[in-house]
Amino acid sequence: MWRVTLTGLLAHKVRYALTALAVLLGVAFMAGTFVFTDTIKHTFDGLFSDVYSNTSAVVRAKQAYTPGANFASQRRLIDADLIPTVRQVPGVTTVSVGVEGYAQLVGRDGRAIGNPAAGAPTLGEAWTSGAERMEPYRFAEGRPPHGSDEVAIDKNSANLGHLAVGDRVVVLTKQQPREYTISGIVRWGSADSPLGASITLFDLSTAQQVLGEPGHVDEIDVAAAPGVSQEEMVRRLQAVLHRPGLEVITGAKVTEEGQNGIHQALAFFDTFLLVFAGIALFVGTFLIFNTFSIVVAQRMRELALLRAVGASRVQVVGSVLGEALLIGLVASAAGLGAGVALALGLKALLTALGFALPSSGLLVTTRTVVASMVVGVTISLAAALVPAWKAGRVPPVAALREVEVDEEPHVVRRAVSGFALFAVGAGLLLAGLLAHLPHRTAYLGGGAVLVFVGIAVAGPVLARPLCRVIGAPLRWRGGTGRLAQSNAMRNPKRTSSAAAALMVGVALVALISVMASSTKTSIGSVVDSAMRADFVVGGGGTPGGESGFSPTLARQLGALPDVASATGVRSGSVNIGGTTMVVLAVDPRHLDDLFDIDPREGDLATMGPTGIAISQEVADSDHLRVGDRLPVTFPTTGRQPFVVRAVYGARQLAGDYVLPMAAARRHFSSQLDIQVYARLAPGVSADAAREAIEGVLAAYPNATLMDRTQYKHEQEAQIDQLLGLMYGLLGLALVIALIGIANTLALSIYERTRELGLLRAVGMTRRQLRSVIRGESVLIALLGTVEGLVVGVLLGWAVVASLRSQGVTELSVPLTLLLVVALLATLAGVLAAAGPAHRAARLDVLRAISRH
Amino acid sequence: MTETVASPGVREPEAGGTAARILDGVKVYGSGATLVRALDGVTAEFANGEFSAVMGPSGSGKSTLLHCLAGLERLTSGQVLIDGVDLGQLKDKAMTLLRRERVGFVFQSYNLVPTLDARENIVLPLTLAGRKPDRDWFDSLVSTLGIGDRLRHRPSELSGGQQQRVAMGRALVTRPALVFADEPTGNLDSRSATDLLEQMRATVDTWGQTVVMVTHDARGASYADRVLFLADGHIVRELPAPSSDTILETVRELGD
Repeated sequence: MWRVTLTGLLAHKVRYALTALAVLLGVAFMAGTFVFTDTIKHTFDGLFSDVYSNTSAVVRAKQAYTPGANFASQRRLIDADLIPTVRQVPGVTTVSVGVEGYAQLVGRDGRAIGNPAAGAPTLGEAWTSGAERMEPYRFAEGRPPHGSDEVAIDKNSANLGHLAVGDRVVVLTKQQPREYTISGIVRWGSADSPLGASITLFDLSTAQQVLGEPGHVDEIDVAAAPGVSQEEMVRRLQAVLHRPGLEVITGAKVTEEGQNGIHQALAFFDTFLLVFAGIALFVGTFLIFNTFSIVVAQRMRELALLRAVGASRVQVVGSVLGEALLIGLVASAAGLGAGVALALGLKALLTALGFALPSSGLLVTTRTVVASMVVGVTISLAAALVPAWKAGRVPPVAALREVEVDEEPHVVRRAVSGFALFAVGAGLLLAGLLAHLPHRTAYLGGGAVLVFVGIAVAGPVLARPLCRVIGAPLRWRGGTGRLAQSNAMRNPKRTSSAAAALMVGVALVALISVMASSTKTSIGSVVDSAMRADFVVGGGGTPGGESGFSPTLARQLGALPDVASATGVRSGSVNIGGTTMVVLAVDPRHLDDLFDIDPREGDLATMGPTGIAISQEVADSDHLRVGDRLPVTFPTTGRQPFVVRAVYGARQLAGDYVLPMAAARRHFSSQLDIQVYARLAPGVSADAAREAIEGVLAAYPNATLMDRTQYKHEQEAQIDQLLGLMYGLLGLALVIALIGIANTLALSIYERTRELGLLRAVGMTRRQLRSVIRGESVLIALLGTVEGLVVGVLLGWAVVASLRSQGVTELSVPLTLLLVVALLATLAGVLAAAGPAHRAARLDVLRAISRH
Repeated sequence: MTETVASPGVREPEAGGTAARILDGVKVYGSGATLVRALDGVTAEFANGEFSAVMGPSGSGKSTLLHCLAGLERLTSGQVLIDGVDLGQLKDKAMTLLRRERVGFVFQSYNLVPTLDARENIVLPLTLAGRKPDRDWFDSLVSTLGIGDRLRHRPSELSGGQQQRVAMGRALVTRPALVFADEPTGNLDSRSATDLLEQMRATVDTWGQTVVMVTHDARGASYADRVLFLADGHIVRELPAPSSDTILETVRELGD
């Protein structure tokens, strides 16, 4: 039977080539993700080991809990007077002092380098002279900073800001912005900077002053004499350091922490890309299924002949599955190769986007190879299962009679089972969205797959009536339009499964569009209803990060005569009732002036340093009232007593908890404002105030001044950016869907060669023939698009409904956008038809007619 | 979609004129050792209102002659004129329009479009031209062909004879200068074949339709006004006013 399989494959090279391409693209995406993240992980694991290779032990403050990978370390500072004690411990050869904090460089063009609000952090660190061998940085040019007027910067920032040794550079810190001379340029291991973070090195006392506090440091790293193990070093240090709140850990442990941090940061990226690889593979499955269905239908006579001459049913099924297996193997192997190329591209792309990735070879692990092959082959086999089973059921007598290719769908059975699958899928989706179940993603993923499969199963029943409606405009185009429409309707099974792949892609596009649009509308309405401030200063940093504006900024703005009140917002990680989250802190005296957070109980303005405000939702779910105790744990200072002083309604703006600024000063590790809000004095024009405020902001090149409308747009722009990325990734699924339509058309045309020849003979021009095929293609594409839009909007509606408590309160369906999608689908249909139509138009009329 | 050839509308056949003419037609397939001269200098005229049959053994070139006359294939050398138009001068599009407007086809295996019903199949050439059928003409056509009660049926719901009559209707609907029939009765039982041949004869007698039919059935050929015999790409005999007997006699003669 292998000979039959092979000749079958070779006889239909082209149709299988497109099928293989669908598997290839999905596998390539998956393999590319694996190769890329493995390479990055491996490289950084190596870099961290190198960087800490001479560090034997680290002394630092204990943390009450670990806030998570995406946040700054958030530890208290330790006393600098521990340094001499540590130096005297036997076996300690070198001591390196760690001081870290926010520092942002300003480039030649006057613009701040890096954007901590959206990208990699901007850090300042201390350079300990005499401890070079323990430093992670190596000087590429110049020398270490000396005194309060010098800094060294990383090579990546130097490139971005066009800065060189000897240049003067403005550095933003929690103090007033200041100018320094660049004494040197450093690299981090073999990379120009650690993952694109911008680095500014100060000498120790300057670092303490501008990054931390005089007399305090973040950590003390020691190198040990040969023969003293890391564990031994830790024991000796612990013996002399008795202060509470201190911890001493081995260099190995610190290395591991750094590596884990990278792994966790990559895990998100990994999952994100793999979800899209999964979508591409899922869409590809439809394509493979359709190709095999059509090929089996076309080869009915040949298969029956095999049965007639003695092939068993199992052998026939096996020959079809064998073809699928071969396609799967070849496509997976090619996909693996393409994945490696994709990983290279991804690396280049990220480098171009400013993530300084160390140069290294690509790492293709056994896991990548095995996973690619297994997934590719499994998907090919699974998709070919039903067609293969059908092939096995061809009766031998079919060899002798004319084959009916256009079989009618079992309307009732299909409708019922399709609906049942859809209902179960929708149920799982809703359960995943609305109920708080463990493994929510499994419910959501499984539910979405079932919903799509359900529609695909019911598709043939829907295809005819839908084509009749959608195709109505085609009839205005006269005879060719009518022919196109009836061609699309003649085999509803084929049409609907070709459309199904596109349906999935379009549904996902519609889903995220509805989600994004609803989120934007909701944000807009919150800003309109709850924000009283006239201006927001943004660009400082993300909640939970270590960057922001010096508190001086809010004070300076508040002192302007045009400004009635100004306040900064700070953020930090807390743990309340076992849940870790980032909360905001504000000055309670200005709160009411700047925001309408819909106070329900208590008084925000009189909230003391141990007061906390909570949302109505939390008050209801945790049965809390004003006056109740609510302990809050901080990573820096541990568990602290707080008392509920106010309950508010507008959680969309502030989250579930708001702390007073006094508490932030005491317990947050970052003392920088991530945003500053300002309200104008009565009678002051916005233009005049803007001028005054911008005068202050001139010294803060990282700040962007926004009025309410601009602030809304900025929030929307962030969503749009993410949206753009997702559209790009879904584009792959759409490309695969288009390949599916092209493949179906090519196969249908092959089958209709004689009919097309006849049409040409009785006077159809080439142009008309192309137009018929284009029409059919557009109709298939529109069918998939319409189904996808309906499903996507319904899913979007469900998701938005489930996000009500997250602040997405308004459902918004972006009609223009969805219309654009439909238009693009029409265009895509035209594109998919290009190849098949061209081939059909070139048919030799005579040979087409005489073919049997 | 309203493309028409240079001579639009329906032309009345000029009495005594020529519908089609082939002058010294040569058609060569392949090259070198595999070279085949399917037509080797054929000259013939097809007068308006004349029913011609073309006969000959397989490989004699009769189908090639038909295809070249009908504008489905180009001559290697020589000339084909339909309604005075030299087919050799036409590009693909003009050739297509000529087929649509001036030529009708009936094939052995009915070759109807399966997704269209009988009526739509009949008017297909007009639909492609973006024209509406002439009601009276259409009605008399379907009543002559006896398919008036089958117009809403798809090809799969029609018998072979009915399908071939629909094909006949499609060939005639544009009132072409010529109708070409390639073994039209080849797939029919004898009763349906007789019906179809009688209808073809009727179109010639009633409407003055010019018909060229390739056949290897002597009885079928006897319905024609004359029979052309082909062998090895040459016309070897022309038999006017044929009967089954004279045809069979000629076939035997030529076979010797």
